[in-house]
Amino acid sequence: MDYFVNVTLTGLTQGMIYSAFALALVLIWRSTRIVNFAQGSMAAATTFIALALIQAGQSYWVALIVALLSGFLLGAIVERVIIRPVEGGPELNAVIVTLGLFVAIQAAIAIIFGSSFQSFPTPFGVRGFEVGDTTIPLTPTSLYIIGSVLLTMALLVALFRFTRIGLAMRASAFSQEVARLLGVKVGSMLTLGWGLAAVVGSLAGLLIAGGTFVWPAYMDALIVFGFVAAIIGGLDSPVGAIVGGLILGLALSYVSGYAPRGSALVNISALVILIVVLLVRPGGLFSSTTARRA
Amino acid sequence: MTAIAAATVASTVAACGGSDDSGGGTSSGGGGGENEASDIGVTEDTITLGAHYPLTGVAAPGYSEIPTGVQAYFDCLNQEGGVYGRDIEFIFRDDAYNPTQTSQVTNELVLEDEIFAMMSGLGTPTHSAVVDFLNDEGVPDLFVSSGSLLWGEDPEQYPMSFGWQTDYESEGKIIGEYIAENFPDAQVGLFLQDDDFGEDGEAGIRQYIDDQIVAAERYTPGNTNVGPQIAALQAAGADFVVGFNVPSYTALSQLTALQLGYDPQWFYSNVGSDPTLVGGLLNRFSEGQVSDAALLDGALTTGYLPTVDMTDNPWITEFQRIWDECGGEGDLTNYRVYGMAQAYTMTQALQAAGQNPTREGLVEAVETAGGEWEGPVFAPFRYSEDSHMGTGGMTIERIVGNGSEEVQPVRITDIGDAPIEEYDGEAATPPANAIPDEESVVD
Repeated sequence: MDYFVNVTLTGLTQGMIYSAFALALVLIWRSTRIVNFAQGSMAAATTFIALALIQAGQSYWVALIVALLSGFLLGAIVERVIIRPVEGGPELNAVIVTLGLFVAIQAAIAIIFGSSFQSFPTPFGVRGFEVGDTTIPLTPTSLYIIGSVLLTMALLVALFRFTRIGLAMRASAFSQEVARLLGVKVGSMLTLGWGLAAVVGSLAGLLIAGGTFVWPAYMDALIVFGFVAAIIGGLDSPVGAIVGGLILGLALSYVSGYAPRGSALVNISALVILIVVLLVRPGGLFSSTTARRA
Repeated sequence: MTAIAAATVASTVAACGGSDDSGGGTSSGGGGGENEASDIGVTEDTITLGAHYPLTGVAAPGYSEIPTGVQAYFDCLNQEGGVYGRDIEFIFRDDAYNPTQTSQVTNELVLEDEIFAMMSGLGTPTHSAVVDFLNDEGVPDLFVSSGSLLWGEDPEQYPMSFGWQTDYESEGKIIGEYIAENFPDAQVGLFLQDDDFGEDGEAGIRQYIDDQIVAAERYTPGNTNVGPQIAALQAAGADFVVGFNVPSYTALSQLTALQLGYDPQWFYSNVGSDPTLVGGLLNRFSEGQVSDAALLDGALTTGYLPTVDMTDNPWITEFQRIWDECGGEGDLTNYRVYGMAQAYTMTQALQAAGQNPTREGLVEAVETAGGEWEGPVFAPFRYSEDSHMGTGGMTIERIVGNGSEEVQPVRITDIGDAPIEEYDGEAATPPANAIPDEESVVD
């Protein structure tokens, strides 16, 4: 029984990390209708900026704020300089550009910050809480991760549902021309969307890094799991991203914990889960009406 | 943080004049003829060697320092005249511990750089990907940086390959016997890398304590979530955990055990146990809570080479001097000592291969003379025509702070059901400048 609880809690924390990353993907999809493969290396870049600050003696929180701000700038610059010229063309063009960006940014990180493997601090403890006389694998750091992800999700839902700017962003993403005719500054909305998505991506990168190890490619495995989580959730729904991440985290943890040689089966299982979900619900678990799929 | 900007580094020390065919401080061995370009990778004044290491990625911590040790040793050797007046050029490339990349960089080393021999190629899964290629091409594949049995067990299958460090099965046997003698009541859990490394270690350890083992959990390198595996060891009631894992997974297993409040007696096999490295990785997490390598304090491990904390060991004194004179940035570490010790054995092999070495002659030299070579390694190598296994001896040590203290002197064994014996040989002392002086055994 203890074992089940341990595996479950490990899976939940891990799933929350996938959720955080999926959330960033959902945000950029909602606000620009582009799947951004470079999200992972953009997040890694800002994480390394934070690490450099921490190593220079700054506090975690200063580093966090600087990383989020630089994430916003990076997202906005990428949209203006690199994505803008291919926007409006075939959708595939923008996606391929983000794929190229993914490799380029990762190389840039290795050149600037080095490719060694480093530990990344967390502001909270990494010891599990004690319940009675047993310790459960839920640490202050995991609570920090869970709290931050839920808060971010709530803010995003509020932004898209209750604010004019959120509505304008959705309109710009959905149909640029109609939005423009209705007086929405589409260009600025797209830049804003990329900037915000990169902020969430940076936060995900920092949360994932906290209390573990980073190197330029540390997001690679998470990119795959983050995408699977986002797609399970429907790619369009912040709540779906969270649920998708949790389902994936739990499932993979059970596979790893209960299947023989489970650790080796984790990657395959992620694919199987994805296929099953898409067979049952082709749009993902939380997809909105199919009519919206442009 | 140091950037490993260059993926390939070749020795840039110019050929030292003034050394005649006697090879500087080394033996005159094979007579007084002239140097010839006797084989691929050998010119009148250079010998080119190649290697692959994970310089980036999850296996890079520690391992990426090995080539800097090799390089420093060869640079100092070259200043003293190299081997038979030839400079050793050492080219190493990054494979990121990814077998696909190992194949690619090994192709480059063999076909473009035209190396004379491979030395110290690192990793079981990585080197497995190129061992057939090297043997098919007839490239000597010396002193693989991995304790897999694959390199030395069957010289007929791989006539060009040689192991170097204690193989994981012999290590497992020595660990198993130690546990059976000293912890007969322990409930043992195994934390294993899911490949030959973990399998060989498990096979060895089960020869002695099969009935004490309550769980064997495997992790896949690259999957950094080991929570379920550590939780399973805890759930099985293991109070003594033996890890056959790489150093980053030592850190991950410690971190996960901390989350779970799991505190068994840890025993990390030699590969994953460097206290400085693991402590360095762990100590930045939430200042104060995990620091000073304290987590590893009291853990057991094995040794087959002197370590940097043994400052009065004459080999460490010499290696420290070499690192100060010919090394790069940073301190001498156990990984650099490892690289230097391999370079020392390589120098013995090249000397024994004679003044104008050939690839076949090099292999013959190791088979003929390698079993007699003395060096920094505690126990002798097992090289012969029938075995290409490296050293077969190990101490058991307890980690204290950033160093270790010996709890059991060197015992030696071999693969299969060979018995374990106490080793009664004397520790070798380094020759002048830590440059060996072997006679040529090849004509």
